[in-house]
Amino acid sequence: MEESVKKGTVTSLASLFPVEEAQKAAKRVEDAIADNRGELDRVRGFIADNNNLVNLVHKLPEELSHDIMVPFGKAAFFPGRLIHTNEFLVLLGEGYYAERTSKQTVEILQRRGKSMDSQVDSLEANIKDLEAEASFFNATASQVAEGLVEIREDYVEEDSIEGESESGKLQQDAPHLGNATPNDGEYERMLAIMDELEKEELAAESGNQSDENDESTGDDDEMSYQGHIDNNLQNSKDFRQSAPLGQTNDKIKRAELPEKQHRKEDITDQLNFASLGVQSTVREREKLVESIYPIEKIPFGSKEKPAQSTITSKTEDPHQTSQRSFDSRKAFPGSIIEHAENIERSSREQSSASSQGSGSQSSKPVSRFKMQRR
Amino acid sequence: MSSSNLRDLQRELENKANDLSKLQKEIAKNHQMRKKYTIQLGENELVLKELDLLKEDANVYKLIGPVLVKQDLAEANANVRKRIEYISAELKRLDATVQDLEEKQNSKKDTILKLQQRIQSLQSGKGKA
Repeated sequence: MEESVKKGTVTSLASLFPVEEAQKAAKRVEDAIADNRGELDRVRGFIADNNNLVNLVHKLPEELSHDIMVPFGKAAFFPGRLIHTNEFLVLLGEGYYAERTSKQTVEILQRRGKSMDSQVDSLEANIKDLEAEASFFNATASQVAEGLVEIREDYVEEDSIEGESESGKLQQDAPHLGNATPNDGEYERMLAIMDELEKEELAAESGNQSDENDESTGDDDEMSYQGHIDNNLQNSKDFRQSAPLGQTNDKIKRAELPEKQHRKEDITDQLNFASLGVQSTVREREKLVESIYPIEKIPFGSKEKPAQSTITSKTEDPHQTSQRSFDSRKAFPGSIIEHAENIERSSREQSSASSQGSGSQSSKPVSRFKMQRR
Repeated sequence: MSSSNLRDLQRELENKANDLSKLQKEIAKNHQMRKKYTIQLGENELVLKELDLLKEDANVYKLIGPVLVKQDLAEANANVRKRIEYISAELKRLDATVQDLEEKQNSKKDTILKLQQRIQSLQSGKGKA
């Protein structure tokens, strides 16, 4: 969080929405809810009346005549008899009456009941909307009371260049990963899905990071699939730093990013990361990339070179490469430390995790990274 | 000199504020009328629907004052349609007036704001002097 102060603006939420204002707004919305509730109760009362009337109209023609007490004025009744029990004069509204039989009357009443039901529905929907609004206002009010600040950062273009070098670095990890990864056919499948996701993401994020994504896609085509995945992995590390601490496997990760993750749950772990990487939020990435930049830049000048190194190392000696990638990964925390608050803890976790990390458990480094970034 | 000026301004402000409150009252009245007409429109539409569902030989009555007057179904139907037309036209008219009134209200608010600012600046000027 601290690094954002350097390049962004920090506005206290209280200056934008004073506490009293937020509370006032919440109160107004709540009043509106109360009004709607009253209306809802009224309509419900009508519906109950209507149902009673339907029952009565149903029952009346069962007998030829009924003995009743006829109201006479306001205070008096006298005994009388209802005859013609199947003839109703129904008020249609606006002073119009129609002569109807019991059955026809019931039909009319039921139509009215339906229109009232729809009124109830719309009122309920209205109340729901208003409640959401009220909870929002209340949340704002409490946040303001807590002294929350809004942090804004501009998206910096240099990202894309750094992103490349970053991906270059990532490729180094590839063989290490690749040892445990399944055959190429599966990769192709995953690639296709990833591309799709990337497109989706691009559209969703208004093309903010299109340069970067495009490049990484291009890389993938030329490079080993392992490289691609690892790259994405790394990206996901970088971008998803917002994830909570302490989780070391991707399942948890999936859970913590529910919204974005939902659609990809069926995909393999690596894919998961890949898609995550694609989804990265610009802001997070920005910070990250900055911190990662130096390390990555130094080993590899361009994205082409890393690619080569990846391939060769893979064919020659996977173990060695994995060793190397390990080192470079370890270098990560060091560069990041200048920013992150709780690196101390997380880096410790990370080192322990990395010691047990095997090729197939590539996900672990990622989440470790995330923790440490937190 | 400036004190009389200030008094003038304050009187003007008062007048404008009165005008504004009058406008607001009118707007509220219009809104109420509008609500009433909307309800009537809904009721008439309901009646029309029911009348459409009636068979041609059905007896239809119209309550006029204290008596029920028998009416032809076709006649009743035409009457209701006409009434709906009238109400719709009335609603449109009310919408237009409300919009007009709201525009007036906004301009009044602006002028009042300006007046207030002027008074404030005059007062602060006086305070310095």
